[in-house]
Amino acid sequence: MSDHTLQKHTAPREWLAGTLFLLPAVVLFGIFVIYPIVYNFQASTLEWDGVNPGRLVGLGNYTRLFQDPIFLTTLKNSGWWILLTIIPQALIGFFLAMLLNEKLRGRAIYRAIFFIPAVLSPVVVGIVWQRIFDPFNGVVAKLGRATGLDFLVHGYLADPKTAIFAAIVVNVWMWTGFSMLFYLAGLQLIDSSVLAAAKIDGAGTWRTIRSIIWPLLRQTHLSLLLLGIIGSLKTFELVYVLTEGGPNHASEMLPTYTFKQAFQLQSVGYASTISAVLLLIAVISSLSMVRAFGSGFLTGDEK
Amino acid sequence: MKRQRRLGAVAAATALTLGLAACAGGASDNQSTSGGSGSLTFRSWSPIEQTTQQMIAAFKQANPDAKIDATIFNYPEYLVDLQTRAASNTMPDIVGLQPGALTQQYRANLMPLQDCAQKTWGADWQKKFYPIGIEQARMGNPAGDENFYTLPLLVQTVNLWANTKIFDEKHAQIPQTWDQLKATVNQLKGGEYAPFMLPAKDSWLRNVVFLQIANNIEPGLVYKAEDGSDSWTNPKLVEAFDYWGKLFTDGIAQKGAIGLDAYPTGANQFEAGNAAMIPLGAWWIQQSDPTKTGLPPLSEGMSGYQPFLFPTIPGGAAQPQLVGGIDVSLGIAKNTKNPDLACKVLTDWIAGAGAQKLINTFNDLPAVTGLNPEKFTSDKQKQIWTTLTSEWMPQVKYSRYLKTPQMDTALGDALSGIATGELTPQAAAAKVQAEQQKVNG
Repeated sequence: MSDHTLQKHTAPREWLAGTLFLLPAVVLFGIFVIYPIVYNFQASTLEWDGVNPGRLVGLGNYTRLFQDPIFLTTLKNSGWWILLTIIPQALIGFFLAMLLNEKLRGRAIYRAIFFIPAVLSPVVVGIVWQRIFDPFNGVVAKLGRATGLDFLVHGYLADPKTAIFAAIVVNVWMWTGFSMLFYLAGLQLIDSSVLAAAKIDGAGTWRTIRSIIWPLLRQTHLSLLLLGIIGSLKTFELVYVLTEGGPNHASEMLPTYTFKQAFQLQSVGYASTISAVLLLIAVISSLSMVRAFGSGFLTGDEK
Repeated sequence: MKRQRRLGAVAAATALTLGLAACAGGASDNQSTSGGSGSLTFRSWSPIEQTTQQMIAAFKQANPDAKIDATIFNYPEYLVDLQTRAASNTMPDIVGLQPGALTQQYRANLMPLQDCAQKTWGADWQKKFYPIGIEQARMGNPAGDENFYTLPLLVQTVNLWANTKIFDEKHAQIPQTWDQLKATVNQLKGGEYAPFMLPAKDSWLRNVVFLQIANNIEPGLVYKAEDGSDSWTNPKLVEAFDYWGKLFTDGIAQKGAIGLDAYPTGANQFEAGNAAMIPLGAWWIQQSDPTKTGLPPLSEGMSGYQPFLFPTIPGGAAQPQLVGGIDVSLGIAKNTKNPDLACKVLTDWIAGAGAQKLINTFNDLPAVTGLNPEKFTSDKQKQIWTTLTSEWMPQVKYSRYLKTPQMDTALGDALSGIATGELTPQAAAAKVQAEQQKVNG
């Protein structure tokens, strides 16, 4: 039997086996990813309460969306959230990682302490920080009264101008440990001989960080950036517990507004439209990053 | 090759298994029976799990063959669960609902309950209930539809509560009028506590406080604005918005009130003695639940609390008006396989042995009259219970809810806008009216 004939016989079998191996993943992907997306887009064309038969409105929900001032607020808040969460979180996380990468006594304990907020339930964090920020009886206000720092005696969560920023502060507090952990892992992958060579060449600490360590952590920065963007777009529990999106929708985020529309206002069709836009933003952000920086930071490849 | 074939077979079997697993679920295993046997599912956000189990145990004592599988959620999670189940035709047999929009959303999935009620309690069954409960049970039904798709389980008034320990220490009087409220707040200022703690982060709380103010200014006007026979821009309602704003601008509410939630923070603070007054409702009596141990001193037998109605407003009604309604009502799924058992359970929990267990915990006020806890832990607790159930509840005339979630949200947003200074009372009234016109078409 020639090689060619053998190939002819085995190829369909291999194809079948390969397909069957892929099938479970494809089926699960279809059920849990593709179907909900299709279902969501279909729902976004309806005026529908999620239970009773809906009415087709075509792209009407999309037109309404861009005339909805609350939706525009959610977009603005998402922008603030991405900007003011990712950068401080990365800088503080990097600083902590640098510190805790040194041989400090009890550094395992410090690492655990800084990471603890990331494993707490956002609901618990929200309740606790709401009390901390309470201008009547909270710790921050009490500190302000005791020290004469009047700016601390302010209802940051109760003021529409500051509510979203107060929520961002809590979010940064919560997730900085996560960034720290990423950077710690990245730092431990840096070849120590590179750092030694830099030292021999006369590079100081700042120069080593700026020119060696920071660039070598590129994949970590990009991973955190991608996770940060997606996490920001998905933010729900923390904001819901801290402010419920208020006051007067000032701290509303895309997921909190989606939830309110779907389950409080019984407008599942409109909520699906917000979800569709959210999905679109997430996909565009991710693809743009992959296009701009290559897929290396996702796969671990250098390119 | 053999190995490949074997692996292929494994993959195929896995796919088949997963496929079957994906198709499974959703089918109800209820056995169709009648009377006091068979199995049922119950899902709700109220009563709490522990009380629900006591109610189930009480029912099962008389009906040992019945099996009730209950799941209690937090309210937001419950809404998600219920909507998903209704959409997938896996509604629980008995569901907890709120009157109005929520009941109407599921109306097509619910069975009318008047026959069940009549069979259990007789032809004059409606007289068993507080009038507001009967009125609200059909809120939002289409014209001509007189069916009861839910029956009330618990009802409530919305009102204020005073910390009598603080009032006694400061020799303060519970305010009956707006001016007295302002004077009392000023008298109580300067302590470690808030004279008037307003947990205004929650939209429902903003709305019920506003409804008390509005009904004290011009009783019933809000509901006329809602049905389109009057307007939210009526000067009397603008005045109500203005008085809401004065709670903030006149320093009655504590600093940062719009950022404080009623539960858990506001309630915890009040129970810890950090507030002299708080607007909540009749359900606050549950703090003195005798089945709980380790109650805070103020809550023990309600020793530190006194309920009172929202003070009258200058130029408004001479007496404070009673606002309230259904806390939670129960419905039965239209496609239940055990309608008789479901009826038996539902009526037992509303007015039978299960209801007695529920009321023994002081969870809220019973929907039926004459049902009292078997044990009071103090005379004060009994006195408050009597005030709530015998004096106030029968007189509740005005609903604590608006008819649609859109209006509930629009009102809550407008009140939030006033509280933060972003809206004037006139602008807030105009915004609510604009939404009302949209809702009324």
